Amino acid sequence: MSGHPAPRAGAPLLEVRGLQTWFPIRAGVLQRPVAWVRAVDGVDLDVPAGRTVALVGESGCGKTTVGRSILRLVEPRAGSVRFAGQDLLALPPGALRALRRQLQIVFQDPMAALDPRFRIGEVVAEGMEAHGIGAGAAERQERAAALLRRVGLAPSLLARYPHELSGGQRQRVCIARALATGPRLLVCDESVSALDVSIQAQILNLLRDLQDELGLAYLFISHDLGVVRHLADRVAVMYLGRIVEEGPAEQVFAEPLHPYTRALLDAVPSLDPAERRFASRVPLAGDVPSPARPPAGCGFHTRCPLAFARCRREAPALLGAGDRTARCFLVEDGAPRPA
Amino acid sequence: MSLASRPSEAEPLLAVEGLVTSFPADGSRRVAVVDGVDLAIARGEVLALVGESGCGKSLTALSIVRLVPKPGRVDAGRVRLAGRALEGLGADGWRRVRGGEIGMIFQEPMTSLNPVQTVGAQVAEAVRLHEPGSRAAARRRALALFEQVGIPDPAARLDAYPHQLSGGLKQRAMIAMALAARPKLLIADEPTTALDVTIQAQILELLRSLGRELGMAVLLITHDLGVVNELADRVAVMYAGRVIEQGTRCEVLAAPRHPYTEGLLRSLPARAPRGARLAEIPGAVPPPEAWAAGCRFAERCPRAFAACAAAPAWTALSVTHAVRCHSVAREVGA
Repeated sequence: MSGHPAPRAGAPLLEVRGLQTWFPIRAGVLQRPVAWVRAVDGVDLDVPAGRTVALVGESGCGKTTVGRSILRLVEPRAGSVRFAGQDLLALPPGALRALRRQLQIVFQDPMAALDPRFRIGEVVAEGMEAHGIGAGAAERQERAAALLRRVGLAPSLLARYPHELSGGQRQRVCIARALATGPRLLVCDESVSALDVSIQAQILNLLRDLQDELGLAYLFISHDLGVVRHLADRVAVMYLGRIVEEGPAEQVFAEPLHPYTRALLDAVPSLDPAERRFASRVPLAGDVPSPARPPAGCGFHTRCPLAFARCRREAPALLGAGDRTARCFLVEDGAPRPA
Repeated sequence: MSLASRPSEAEPLLAVEGLVTSFPADGSRRVAVVDGVDLAIARGEVLALVGESGCGKSLTALSIVRLVPKPGRVDAGRVRLAGRALEGLGADGWRRVRGGEIGMIFQEPMTSLNPVQTVGAQVAEAVRLHEPGSRAAARRRALALFEQVGIPDPAARLDAYPHQLSGGLKQRAMIAMALAARPKLLIADEPTTALDVTIQAQILELLRSLGRELGMAVLLITHDLGVVNELADRVAVMYAGRVIEQGTRCEVLAAPRHPYTEGLLRSLPARAPRGARLAEIPGAVPPPEAWAAGCRFAERCPRAFAACAAAPAWTALSVTHAVRCHSVAREVGA
């Protein structure tokens, strides 16, 4: 593509700043908003080209809304989303469309993501057609066949319908469809969560191979910390619409700074037969507060075992030094201080 | 309850032998989706039945309590609970067993909870069904059950409707209902799969402590090997309608012998070195219509050989550990 301003040297491929996406709670005859669900409430996030950044958290934390806001599948109310140097939220529809081919999404449920009435060949070629890729139908089918091969499927599947494929094959088709427009960033929203373990391993290996071959960047949205630990370069942990910790995946998993990250990691069942985790510790009590009525102060103070008076009054900023940040007063000096 | 069959100490609480459950396939043919399952659970023991989707683990549990959805049908098998055969039971007998001696909880609490009745009323009703007494006594017992399952502010929560409770609290309410009749066995089908990880940890901890306090056995059905490790005493692994390996938790998770169990554990990202390529099991589980007469894993198995065309028998590796695999049988010279 030509005519794009070159991104600043060293700038990440995707640069999200101050992203806010609120959903109205409507009531009354006039259906006026009476309150707002602050699904995403001030998120900053960078995804460098060719790398994997994972966005993790429990249901309702806002991670899926972040992904959808970036693609403008939902409209954010504030913030900026710079992709290859251009703010997607400020672009006119035509320019956004041109840039959208470089940004694709792979959802959790491939059956819901594939229209049952279309053959696989049509599904994969649809995006090419929309973006004017390929000279004609024949060339697009040829490209579709090559894409199927690239994701490990036989080109003979082009003539099949989604219901004739297995779950793993369907997710491969969704990946092929996403690749059809030549993207630089894939938003993977729980893309392997619905798959059985043995199929999940196949898809994770495929995603890794594609990243190596094509230099793709992934924003990998997931609740599965085992998967994230395996593939992410960096990880951002969300709680109640905000990122509470961000850093290199290896360091965050080895030595979490935020009490929520620590609790989350502690709650993952152990796979080591020599170690049962739950026998040795008390799980985090209570439930996540509603994002329509977030608590004052630090969003996590209602469940935090380390909370003190200040946490109930004041919301901590993202604090930290160097490569790591956490939204917690206990890391104010930037030094990791595990309890 | 029959007096004829007094359970001996050695007899397991639940013994399942040769269970076969079929569904119609194309034409008049039926396919056995549970195909000759044997299981035994001792008093107070947690047995995990694990496997990937479609392996028949949930249908095995439903077959045990004869709740197989139509057009499914239990074709064969003997099920003994505390020494008593369940096959001959009439409708009344089954009502006393289900929700009585055998409690059940499912992945989605709303499949068991009535949305238009308070959870307290539902638990009290479950109490009265199995323990005749006054309404007030049933409500007192419901309150005690809510306390037992760790529902905060239990008196107020008795008057809540299911939709007013969070996912974790709904699951606790369902567990309270399942405990109402003081079951000897709890069948828990993916009890934490729909829950977030911090809530899952709370529910697993609850199930573990309840099992210990009440001496209640648990048949845990799950696809999650981490949950198995945290909760199970013994493990039975299913593949394509058959149990293919069973043993203690440590035997199966630390020293699996069936190539499928081995492959499954190796493909877990959490057990692989960071960033390394994951071990894959090639292909996918075949649909039941395509299940082979011989070993059903053979087409995906790196160790398959000529003998695998016949169904493998059990090979014992220890008093507690056994696999159905020709390759292992050959290795150990059985």
